[in-house]
Amino acid sequence: MPKLSVRNLTKRFPVSGGPSMTALDGVDLDVEEGEFIAFVGPSGCGKTTLLRIIQGLETATSGEIRIDGKPVTGPGHDRGFVFQQYGLLPWLTAAQNIGFALEAKGIPAARHGETTERVLATVGLKGFGDRFPHQLSGGMQQRVGIARALAIEPEIMLLDEPFGALDALTREILQNEMLGLTERMGKTILFVTHSVDEAVCLADRVVVMSPRPGRIREIVPIDIPRPRASLGEALRDTPEYVAKRHQLWTQLMDLV
Amino acid sequence: MQRSAQASAVSKSAGEPEAASDPNRQRRRERLLQIGTLVLLLAVWEFAARDANKLLVAVPSDIAVATWELLLNGELLSATLDSMSTFVLGFVIASIIGIVVGFAMGTNRTVEVILDPYINALYAMPLVALIPILMLWVGIGFLAKITIIILFAVFPVIINTVTGVKNVDRHYLDIGKAFMASRFMVYRQIIAPYALPYVASGLRIALGRGIIAMIVAEFLTSISGLGGLIINYTNAFETAKAFAPVLVVALLANALTVLVQKVEERFGRWRRR
Repeated sequence: MPKLSVRNLTKRFPVSGGPSMTALDGVDLDVEEGEFIAFVGPSGCGKTTLLRIIQGLETATSGEIRIDGKPVTGPGHDRGFVFQQYGLLPWLTAAQNIGFALEAKGIPAARHGETTERVLATVGLKGFGDRFPHQLSGGMQQRVGIARALAIEPEIMLLDEPFGALDALTREILQNEMLGLTERMGKTILFVTHSVDEAVCLADRVVVMSPRPGRIREIVPIDIPRPRASLGEALRDTPEYVAKRHQLWTQLMDLV
Repeated sequence: MQRSAQASAVSKSAGEPEAASDPNRQRRRERLLQIGTLVLLLAVWEFAARDANKLLVAVPSDIAVATWELLLNGELLSATLDSMSTFVLGFVIASIIGIVVGFAMGTNRTVEVILDPYINALYAMPLVALIPILMLWVGIGFLAKITIIILFAVFPVIINTVTGVKNVDRHYLDIGKAFMASRFMVYRQIIAPYALPYVASGLRIALGRGIIAMIVAEFLTSISGLGGLIINYTNAFETAKAFAPVLVVALLANALTVLVQKVEERFGRWRRR
């Protein structure tokens, strides 16, 4: 049984004074436990909408989502979400932002400190707990967002273009850390990105989506052996990386 | 002020780079300019009004003497305490009602639809018109004064709180939703902090209107407090003494505004400078 299964998922948005807009049309997808899935596609292909529906932030017009065979009807502590931007509450410190998720999960306040320190250390932000978001760089803010999602110990992590707003260097550093992190933890991960490089680097399978209406065009397996984190920069020179990157680029170009 | 200091520092830097590099000096110069203007104004007043009828016009030196007298005999202090106790109670009640009603309207569409027309109408209308009728109902004593202050102060708090609550960024609400925060957590940790700056500016407006209400109430209902001193001394043609409570009201209004700003800053320290 797959960890997550999406069946015939459709999402239509009403448009005032016109026919509704179909953001997702009959999406089917199975994700195995511990798999890393990246979603790529031109803007308007519905990849973020798909992720938001799986998280329960939006409801599907029709179709079904199951986790471990059980239907999903709304948000749950079994899923941890990382937002692209504005993902932290600016009036709470890094530690309080993580505490927010812990409190929401019903974990007693006495245990927040220990968990918060552990996850902040995991993302390399030991000692930054009492900083407010505006006192942290964009990359550090995203690390806090990842730490918060980790803190609730979800079975599936969903990341919506988490590095999309970062500069190229920070982005690459965080990609490498993400690789190390996910390979150590072996969590099931859904990762939306507009970067083909990022997708090929990180994912076991890359889901290519096409716009208007949003559909899955192709699912491309990436057979670079793991652990990839130890390869460092050499990862980007492997024949498989180069070939898959080229293949995905060509496919995306056809869609635009 | 900060901005004008920077702007003039920049424009100056072309000719005098050394002077412009010292913002402290610039600030001292500006402060001096302001104090100088004040002294000049007072001097002009003093000399221009010297030969005027003392019954009608008071000069600064007379006002200073009169204020000192009223301070010594305790009249000013007891009037201030009288006014302030009424004002503070009225303002606090108005703030609480305003925030609670504003929150309810901002989070519940039905409540908003029902109350919105009345609140907008009452906020826009000159509430002084209601005071005589109000006196029929609540008399002319303490209760009347409190009611008038609340009536004047409550609407800006409600309106600003509603605006703040309704404007909460969707991104922040999504965080609450994604992590399954309870309704109470969303109110306390997302909506309330977001709305706080809006509420604070509502409180600042309410403060000014509340002070006006306090003086108006002291004029029109039972004559008492600082407003009472103004009325009584003006009626007695002791113009210099009538100025003393005016001075106190002006100082209090400014001090309270600064206080609200400080409270706002304390709670808003997460914001980017």
